[in-house]
Amino acid sequence: MVVTEGVADVTNGLIAIGAGLAVGLAGVGTGMAEKDIGAAAIGAITEDSSLFGRSMIFMVLPETVVIFGLVIAIMAIFVM
Amino acid sequence: MFQRSGKGNYAYTSARAKAKKSRLLKEEDYSKMLMMSVPEISHYISEAGYSKEMTELGNRYTGLSLVEYATYANMAVAFRSILKASTGELRNMVEAYLSEWDFTNLEVILRGKNYGLPVEEIREDLVPAGRLDMDDLDDLVAAPGVEETLDLFASKTGVRVSDEAVAAYRNDRMLKDIEDELAKTFYRNLLLSVGTTTQANRIFRTYLERVVDAQNVETLLKLKVERIGGEEAMKYFIPGGQEVDEKTYAQIAAAADVVSAGNEMQGLKIHNEIKGALTDNASVLDVVAAIDRYNAELANSVAHMYPLSVIPVVDYMIHKRNEARNIRMIAHGVDSGLDVETMKGLLVI
Repeated sequence: MVVTEGVADVTNGLIAIGAGLAVGLAGVGTGMAEKDIGAAAIGAITEDSSLFGRSMIFMVLPETVVIFGLVIAIMAIFVM
Repeated sequence: MFQRSGKGNYAYTSARAKAKKSRLLKEEDYSKMLMMSVPEISHYISEAGYSKEMTELGNRYTGLSLVEYATYANMAVAFRSILKASTGELRNMVEAYLSEWDFTNLEVILRGKNYGLPVEEIREDLVPAGRLDMDDLDDLVAAPGVEETLDLFASKTGVRVSDEAVAAYRNDRMLKDIEDELAKTFYRNLLLSVGTTTQANRIFRTYLERVVDAQNVETLLKLKVERIGGEEAMKYFIPGGQEVDEKTYAQIAAAADVVSAGNEMQGLKIHNEIKGALTDNASVLDVVAAIDRYNAELANSVAHMYPLSVIPVVDYMIHKRNEARNIRMIAHGVDSGLDVETMKGLLVI
């Protein structure tokens, strides 16, 4: 924290919190989405193991949401 | 009955049910089977998912009996796997739905005991597709008499038959009062097991109410085919339906024959679907096939509404049951030399 003329500069701290929230909340959202997809995928694979490949694709689709969060976090820290 | 709390694993169970449904026999499979002999049908279904049961039962039965027992054994395994996979309120609903088989098995055991059949013969006709597995059913079969069997059933499931029905049995040694009460208890418990908190559950409940209607109509038409009506018919009324209340039921029961019963039903939704079977020379088989087709269409109409609910699970169970029924019907038809067109008319797809 930099103190200039008696005023604390918290900009970097706020950027770090924002980046953390972007990744963290995106992760929570992804987890919620993957909960049902994962359960359904396991159910489908239990009955027919040839569905493993397709189930995996659906399983990882919500991971893109975390990538969006990560991009925002990187932009917040390195671009802004 | 013990009620489980928690929402239930809808995603897992409905995905399993849908995967199982995708492996059921299709219309073209039935078309091929209609052209086969009974041994060819046995071979065909062995390759279509029934191999385990056909092998297990193959050393005890042959021909038509093998097809009959293998189809029900396969269905029982499939239903129990769904029951074991489900949790929470979903399991409550699946269990209540499958308890139909517990009641059916109990009736088989009671009839067997009443007519003094040997234990092995009673066991052969049991289908452990409900909450009670084969060990539980063996306990029931081993009970010395009808009343002891009912007491044991009550301790296992919590369903107790009224003293009046038992007294009526003591009086005339006829099981009809006990059986009527069991049928009514099944539908009452089933309707009670479905909460109305979610839209999917409300749709399922409406579906069940229409199934009760269909059951009442089926009973009435079977009685009409045999020219039975009035007070005798009123004893079989099952409450809880959507359209067929006691008054409507009494009106249809008072009709002279199948055709006039059909006229009394004109305001009901079910009438449009089954009117083709309501002729002067209608047989019980035609009426039952028409009602089964109506039930299958009813299930299809709601099956895709809520993917993560009890609906796709029950939809699978209805289709699996129809598959077992169709295979048995074709095997019987082929064995007795029924013509292909008649068998096609009795298929429920």
